[in-house]
Amino acid sequence: MSAHHPDDLTLLDYSAGSLGLAQALAVSVHLGYCNQCQSQLRKLNALGGVLLEETTPASVGANDDQIPEQNHSQMEELNKSFEALMARIESEPVEPPKRESTGFHNPLERYLPASLDELNWQQQTREIAKFDLTNVVDMGSARVALQKIKAGAKVPVHTHRGNELTVVLKGGFSDELGVYHAGDYIARDPSHKHSPTALQNEDCVCLTVLDAPMKFTGPLMRWLNPLFAWRA
Amino acid sequence: MLRTKAQSMSNTSSANGDGPDWGELLAQVAHKGDTMAFRKVYAHFAPRIKAYAINQGMHQQAEELVQEVMTSVWRNADKYCGSLASASTWIFTITRNQRIDLLRKKGRTSKEITVDTEELWQIPTEDTTIRSIQAMSTEKRMRESIGELPEEQMIAVRKVYYEGKTHQEVAEELNVPLGTLKGRLRLSMKKLRVMLEAAEL
Repeated sequence: MSAHHPDDLTLLDYSAGSLGLAQALAVSVHLGYCNQCQSQLRKLNALGGVLLEETTPASVGANDDQIPEQNHSQMEELNKSFEALMARIESEPVEPPKRESTGFHNPLERYLPASLDELNWQQQTREIAKFDLTNVVDMGSARVALQKIKAGAKVPVHTHRGNELTVVLKGGFSDELGVYHAGDYIARDPSHKHSPTALQNEDCVCLTVLDAPMKFTGPLMRWLNPLFAWRA
Repeated sequence: MLRTKAQSMSNTSSANGDGPDWGELLAQVAHKGDTMAFRKVYAHFAPRIKAYAINQGMHQQAEELVQEVMTSVWRNADKYCGSLASASTWIFTITRNQRIDLLRKKGRTSKEITVDTEELWQIPTEDTTIRSIQAMSTEKRMRESIGELPEEQMIAVRKVYYEGKTHQEVAEELNVPLGTLKGRLRLSMKKLRVMLEAAEL
């Protein structure tokens, strides 16, 4: 059970379907760990269900807006569109069922070429490695990556030019604002300057979603910027 | 297994008391391929899905969205789980996902992997929680709670849900600062949470 969650508005946008893909990826990963957010999402989805139920129906099958008095012809159009749908369903081959899963799961599982331990990590420093997904998965303009920090290692102080979302997948880390474990969802805006330190017991692996490159701020750490530069 | 699921789902649905038992109709679609039952589901939901699409500004693709969603309802009726969601909530989640899917198809890039929309917006098919809040009663309370929201909060929530707009766009439309809109949304979420929790005790 995680202790750090997406805020109410993020879950609202997720449920409404207006959250960006990369953010949705981070929320979806978190949901796999978090019963509390699953339950909150269920309520938000119910809100969507109520709104759908209460919406004023539009006439189906008609291309133009119809005069409401024409109930008979509306019924006819609806029936015609139903028949057309059934004909289409019968003529289309049924797609083979995708891998079944019944509850929330990490959406990345199906797409990573190997397990977290066996990924082809790009070493950034001796203690930090990255597996960049930006040019692999279609997540719009956001930079998506997995980051691995060696147990006990410290990432140099940095800020972000944009918003950064982090979901801890394995191990944990701490920074000036708290301690985070597997499943935790952390949102940071450009005003945050932080230097995460991995917990001592095991390597920490995180999913990070960034809408602008991060920037190292410590005087000796500037040289790291080009190394960490995300390929756009 | 499916049979039991269907039965428990019809029980919860009938608790609603008004209108047809959509859960039961979906069970008939799932287990007997019952076209008559599906016709009823279609007659009720297709016009609502179309209205949703139009509200989202998808006039051109409104009919396509209806057809995609209803095809998915027909094919996946056996995955509907009445203790997780009411039929209208389940159909809302399918509609939302198909809408995202249609929009994504327009902007396809050449990246190697397309993460399926259904992976990013997962719809669980089995209730794995220990204490399951009955879906129908959640929805009934939600309906009541929404009615108690101040109008300006309700309008904000409806616009975000129903018109697929960003907070910035909704703020501009309502002619209020972004912070004010976010405040209204946060308050409405807080209120809904309090009302639902009070009802659950």
